[in-house]
Amino acid sequence: MGAGASPSSLPWRVAALAIVVVFLQIGVVSEVPVFGVVVDLSPLTVAFIGLLCGSTVGACAGFGIGLLVDLMLGQTLGLTSLIFTAIGYGSGRLRELRDPQGALVALVLGAAAAGASLVGYSLMEFMLGVDAPVSFELLRQIVLGVIVDAIVALPVWAIVRRCLEPGLPDDPRRRRRRAYTTGGLSPLTRA
Amino acid sequence: MHDKTIRRRRAVLVLLVALSLILLTAYFGEARGGRLHSVQRDFLTVVSPIQDGANKALKPVRDLFGWFGSTLHAKGQLAELRKQNDKLRAQVIARQSDERAYATLRRLYHLDNELGVAAYHAVAATVIGESPNLWNKTININKGTGDGVRENDPVVVGEGLVGVVTEAGAAFAQVSLVTDSGIGVSAIINETGAPGLVEPKVGEPDDLLMQYLPANTPVSIGNYVVTSGTISSGHPSLFPRGIPIGQVTSVKEEGAIKSVNVQPLANLHNLETVQVLTYPPNSEPAQAARFASRLPAGKTPGSGAAGASEGQLASTGSGG
Repeated sequence: MGAGASPSSLPWRVAALAIVVVFLQIGVVSEVPVFGVVVDLSPLTVAFIGLLCGSTVGACAGFGIGLLVDLMLGQTLGLTSLIFTAIGYGSGRLRELRDPQGALVALVLGAAAAGASLVGYSLMEFMLGVDAPVSFELLRQIVLGVIVDAIVALPVWAIVRRCLEPGLPDDPRRRRRRAYTTGGLSPLTRA
Repeated sequence: MHDKTIRRRRAVLVLLVALSLILLTAYFGEARGGRLHSVQRDFLTVVSPIQDGANKALKPVRDLFGWFGSTLHAKGQLAELRKQNDKLRAQVIARQSDERAYATLRRLYHLDNELGVAAYHAVAATVIGESPNLWNKTININKGTGDGVRENDPVVVGEGLVGVVTEAGAAFAQVSLVTDSGIGVSAIINETGAPGLVEPKVGEPDDLLMQYLPANTPVSIGNYVVTSGTISSGHPSLFPRGIPIGQVTSVKEEGAIKSVNVQPLANLHNLETVQVLTYPPNSEPAQAARFASRLPAGKTPGSGAAGASEGQLASTGSGG
């Protein structure tokens, strides 16, 4: 556990992060296209919350962020919640089953979350009925969206981790790994 | 203990998925005035002042990012626009005499009462939010019913048509852009008057598709597409006649009908201020909008079973 923080602060940290991300997304990021597509921070945030906090918190955060997005954008309620719940749960299970530690995990997970979000949203829209003609360019937009989201995944991961880590309970597996890699407790702890 | 954790985890997932599906089904099935729509409207009413404040606070950040993009884009366009400007200046001079003659004839034939933009009152609004979604291209603005903004009011910028108001609260409104998958606009080719239906191409945010043009219609790349001002059933709105929508970029023949790709004139990616065209309750546009709302509903909004002539468009097409 981080110094001066308690696990009980985690829900507040997640809620504050969710609100800031959604406002930032709708107010700023959506208005600045990169290579013709818009960076979507919301699925990245949901995936990283799941990766840090586990499947239950990930799914709840996904549902909450999705509902907030749907409410604020006047979209069909429940649509984004459903997709983000799956993303949050999936990334949480990834942590619980594999606990990946590679430097590029955030990048790969970010790309996967963006892909799941874009493809999931498109599938849901098709299921609900599309009135406008759909172009094959949609595929290009999805691929570009995944690439652009993957590019911003690393900084987003760093920010999400910095916000949530002080509220996370200490994980025995990480403690064991640290002991293995450093040959014991950290010098700071020993001092 | 471990089993209990697994059971709790699965229960939470099932609960959230079920809740999402219930919301989705209920929202999709209910009318626009339904309970969930009201909750969403009330939420937006509460949140829109915060969103407006956040938007103002974050404007420098947005401007900084926008500046890089705009500079690169502007440099690329400069030479092309200079050339275009010279050409247009020559055209304007040549057409000034035609315009004078036209104005005289128009007065003679009492066409001044025809519905036009002059009959509307423009309300300037600031964009306070934008959807990142590929499918739902919407923006939120900081003007609502308190400023005279109502559902189905057209929204424009200096370059041309932006979209239509689809939701209006006391101090906010939601605008579906012309590139939103649910929008269709009755339009004409300005040079020839040929009617068609402008729809978005999902997946191509910088492109629109004008469909159902008669095969023998002469259309050239560079022709301008403007709103036709006709009433149609799917969308009971009435865009004033002659609002520029876009410019033809390519033409495709498909048997008896022709379709053209149209590039929107308005820059829909970086909207800051827009104008909502509102009208007084008993004005001519209001009467026309009431008439439009009484027309039988189309099969699906935007499906656009528009005919080949403007008359058919007016009665069966989908669009504004």
